[in-house]
Amino acid sequence: MAVSYSAMHSGLGRGLTAVYGIFALAATARAGYEFASKFDQAPLAYSLSLFSALVYIVATVCFVLGTRTSHRIAIGACLVEFVGVIVVGALSLIRPDLFPDSTVWSAFGIGYGFIPVILPLVGLWWLRRVGRAAQAASPAQV
Amino acid sequence: MFPVLTLLEYAAAVILTLWGALGAIRNRPAGRGLLGFAAFVLLLLLVQLVVGIAAFGGHSGTDPLLFFGYVATAIVLMPLAGVWAFAELSRWGPLVLMAAGITVFVMVVRMDQIWQ
Repeated sequence: MAVSYSAMHSGLGRGLTAVYGIFALAATARAGYEFASKFDQAPLAYSLSLFSALVYIVATVCFVLGTRTSHRIAIGACLVEFVGVIVVGALSLIRPDLFPDSTVWSAFGIGYGFIPVILPLVGLWWLRRVGRAAQAASPAQV
Repeated sequence: MFPVLTLLEYAAAVILTLWGALGAIRNRPAGRGLLGFAAFVLLLLLVQLVVGIAAFGGHSGTDPLLFFGYVATAIVLMPLAGVWAFAELSRWGPLVLMAAGITVFVMVVRMDQIWQ
């Protein structure tokens, strides 16, 4: 059973894990800089940077672990990430006054080549595939 | 920043990206050449760090935390990608280096923008 969920980080999952890892690193560095140097200027935006960094870290760790539990947490992380990108992306356009400075998720991740909005969708698709294969391998484990 | 070094960094990041993509397409693990080239990219970034520190004294208008934050993050990223590609005996090794190449390219663009 454990073997089938380890497919999370095999094949295409390797690439996904790498991209999540890069985003975890980049977002953490960004949030660290923003908190250290200018938190007062845009507290909401910088808090969201930190939040996105945490989501990317959780997703990366879950992909690396590749267990049944981490599969579930990873689905949650991808959903939070997708909702976050949509809500923050929309808010940053509708209420720019809330965001004196941009976040990783501003304008649907335009500063990062829109990868932030594509990544959770690819992640969810991949996790569903892995989950189905794992369930087919051992139907008793739901 | 420093035209020659910056151009070298751009070129190295592009070559790493293409070389990684080629390895992934050909379904080969990362060989010595590619891993060595990744080490060369890391070396360039270390040179960037040293040159940056050396030249920073007579330089104003650049946020040191922001600039060196990017340099340091790139320097952390490259060995991680390199070790991963070394351990990964499949096409995903070169692909990880390709992703690192794209990331380093973007980070050099940002460094260049920040350094004014």
